[in-house]
Amino acid sequence: MHGWHAASVFVATAKGGISLGKVKTIFVVAAAYLLLSAVSAYFAYSDQDAWGVWLASGFGLGLLFVRPRADWMPVLAGAFLGALIVEPLVGSSLVDTLGYALIEVIVTFAGGAVAAMISPPPIRFTSPRDVGAVVAGAFVLALTGAVIVGLWGELAGAPDAWRTFRVWFAGNFVGMLLVAPFIAAWAQFRPKRSGGLTMSSFAGGAVACALFLICVSVLFATHPERSMLQSFADDLTYLPFVFFVVVALLWGTRGATLAALIGAMIAIAQTVRGLGPFIDGGGLLSDAALNAQGYAAALAMTGLLVATLVEAQRVAAWRAREWKTRFEAAIGAHGMIAYEWAPESGQLVVSGDTTDLIGVPAQKLATLADWLACVAPQDRNAVAERFGERGTGGAADIMRYAMSGPAGISTVVDEARAIHDHDGALHRIVGIVRTTAITA
Amino acid sequence: MSAAAAPDAAFLIHGLGGTQYDLGSMHKRLKNAGLVTYSLTLPGHGTTPEDLASVSAEQWVDAVVGKYREIRDQHPTLHLMGMCMGSLLAALLAERERHDKGNLIMLAPPVYIDGWATPWYRFMRPVLYRIPGLPRRMKIEEEDPYGIKNEQLRAIVKAKFERGENFHYRWVPLECLRQVDRLRAMVMKAASHIRCPTLVVHAREDELTSLRSANFMVETIGGGRARMVILEDSYHMICVDNDKEIVAKNVLEFVGAALPGAGTSLANEPRMSAEDLAAALKVVLARLDAGEMGTLRELAIPDFVWVHPGANAVSGAHVGKAFGSFAERFGALGNARFTAFGTPVFNRGVVLVPAQLVASNDSARLASSGALLFAFYAGKLLEARWFADQSELEDAFFGKPPAPDNAAVALDAAFATAAAEAKMLTRAPDNATLLELYALYKQADAGNVVGDRPGVLDVVGRAKYDAWSKLKGVSRDEAMRNYVALVGKLKGQEVTA
Repeated sequence: MHGWHAASVFVATAKGGISLGKVKTIFVVAAAYLLLSAVSAYFAYSDQDAWGVWLASGFGLGLLFVRPRADWMPVLAGAFLGALIVEPLVGSSLVDTLGYALIEVIVTFAGGAVAAMISPPPIRFTSPRDVGAVVAGAFVLALTGAVIVGLWGELAGAPDAWRTFRVWFAGNFVGMLLVAPFIAAWAQFRPKRSGGLTMSSFAGGAVACALFLICVSVLFATHPERSMLQSFADDLTYLPFVFFVVVALLWGTRGATLAALIGAMIAIAQTVRGLGPFIDGGGLLSDAALNAQGYAAALAMTGLLVATLVEAQRVAAWRAREWKTRFEAAIGAHGMIAYEWAPESGQLVVSGDTTDLIGVPAQKLATLADWLACVAPQDRNAVAERFGERGTGGAADIMRYAMSGPAGISTVVDEARAIHDHDGALHRIVGIVRTTAITA
Repeated sequence: MSAAAAPDAAFLIHGLGGTQYDLGSMHKRLKNAGLVTYSLTLPGHGTTPEDLASVSAEQWVDAVVGKYREIRDQHPTLHLMGMCMGSLLAALLAERERHDKGNLIMLAPPVYIDGWATPWYRFMRPVLYRIPGLPRRMKIEEEDPYGIKNEQLRAIVKAKFERGENFHYRWVPLECLRQVDRLRAMVMKAASHIRCPTLVVHAREDELTSLRSANFMVETIGGGRARMVILEDSYHMICVDNDKEIVAKNVLEFVGAALPGAGTSLANEPRMSAEDLAAALKVVLARLDAGEMGTLRELAIPDFVWVHPGANAVSGAHVGKAFGSFAERFGALGNARFTAFGTPVFNRGVVLVPAQLVASNDSARLASSGALLFAFYAGKLLEARWFADQSELEDAFFGKPPAPDNAAVALDAAFATAAAEAKMLTRAPDNATLLELYALYKQADAGNVVGDRPGVLDVVGRAKYDAWSKLKGVSRDEAMRNYVALVGKLKGQEVTA
């Protein structure tokens, strides 16, 4: 079903014709592919002819994370063009070049499609689901490519197809985790007159980022024949994470993806040059480069998750504030006050424009006594008595009494209802108070 | 009228990307206080944000200088007031024209762009300005909190932005900020040459520009000429936020105006000579005698109120726009008019005139004696009250208050709905249609065109005025019906499209 849908998208997009914008996208993606391929080559093991991390596909995948499916075609075409240019430069034959270019399109589409199924684009990093989509997209892209290339090698009789599978998968997965969210986050950046990251947050994040990068640099500069100081640095392998989390907290997704990318590049570059804490191996993945890749993947995912959870909290707080604003606007427009009274503790929570109606801010009406102080003296005892009855009986109740307010004495109608718990015991008294007339 | 006899005036300048909305109800408040207000739509504004990309700071300055020179000699006192970037322009204007005909009021002047919500990359502006082509293409967006601390108001502003209402640009080109930066530099140089009394109003929590800006202006102008009011419960848009009343009160006090509506209007010094008062009263009485009560709006402040006693079809306090429909109804009921005026008694700006209310229809005749009370301020009518000796006579003649007219209620509802729908059109109508919508709305809402025709530099304001004036004489109901029909047609076109 999904495959059929994907095919129909391809056909529909192709029918849409080529606009100048699409052509620009194709060339931008191809250029980014070339650039990132060059950077990836810098991290390759020259002696083993293997990629430490493959970043190039991440640009296209990142764009798919933020674009509607109808706009995917130029991105995929750009990735195809990029691969067509890059492969001959690294010595691939014409057939291999075409094959790798085709694989590039297939895996990028597969990664984007899986991510889109989990969280429809644009991915805004406002819920853990978005992080799940990014990780799944990166995983599928890496796995699909590794399977195809591994099988291709096996069928072609190439030696050590398993090693090809492993290197391809690890290098791509880490590369995607580093580049794709970075592109997705920054593609949605819009300069603002006000709002966004403030100078104080930026400064705090900059300090944390500097400490993070210094730690990573020191950690991954250690030589296998360690001095005492370098051995001490080894013991702090995970110290950078502390600063990195602060970066993610203060700078959000964009800052976290940027710091993760730079930190991971340092870690991987140094590791492939025989430096850093993983160089004597022995870890779970029994390979220094794999350990460094695991380290980079952990960094990327930690940053994404922390920044996304912070953003999710911010969105939740914003939604709650919006709800509160709507609620207060509604009751305010009707000249009402809402209250919630806990008879056992005596605590009162009042909502609405109490300043306008009774001349006292809602925060100052924290107990029943505060409320009664606003009731006109002649009605005060009667109201206190009725509240006492409400607190024990818990039945629905309506009463009319006078309150003193900024416009004089006003008559209010107080309608109360009881909220009971699962055992039927009185939990809260909630009420709505309406002003009916200014009487004096 | 000679300039010396003319009322005081105020020239109000809006902010970057904004409209007169930036200044909240300041126009109305100043008018209520008896001042004539002037404004202009700055170059690049009132259309689309793209138009700002080719406007320079000098063009803004030239526009305000041009308007200033046009109105300067028409009034004995002319105050300058600006909001945000408008306050920078007002300050430059005061310095360049050596303004001494009134005061300068700077509302939230952004001498420094350093408020708590400004993004970290604000320091990169000078670098970006140097990249060819970028300043014109880069969009700088407006975002939460939109300069507003009041959450309910912020929600309304946000909804307006989402509907695409043209009250404030959603974004401005970076080039435009470059011009604001140039203006800021000009103001920093010019501030020490400002010679007129200056009031700077600034919010402590202004998210766009900190108190440092206000301090700079007050310290630089110095010499006991400048003073500052700090607001504690607002962000940048101080004329519409929580402290708007404090802003209005301080501004009105600073320009020496009365505070109508604050219970003090009748006791105020009217700022009119005895001859002016007598002349103004003569005009009012002549119009009442001629049965032209509705035309009193031309002589009154926007919130003019007519209080009519009794329990009948014309009783009640008829305020502002409602006075128009009251006057229409009043005249229609037996050609009612006031006549037989006695000797007026003056007390400061208040006049009491014995009078008789007469009306007749096929079956009855009314001659109700009593007294009319008028309150004047700065040449404008603030308030009128009729004290009938026997209001039951009027109750009998005019009859009980009418039950709501279902057709009228339905038309009102359709008009309100159409006004809301007009704001939600997905395709912006062409300029001619927009002007037609504006004119019909204003005719339905406020009646015949009032005020002076804007000057040639205020192209948008002038076009709107002209469109509205073409509908002079069209009844409120007809304007409402035509407005509803036009909005319906536009919606229909959208559906078809």
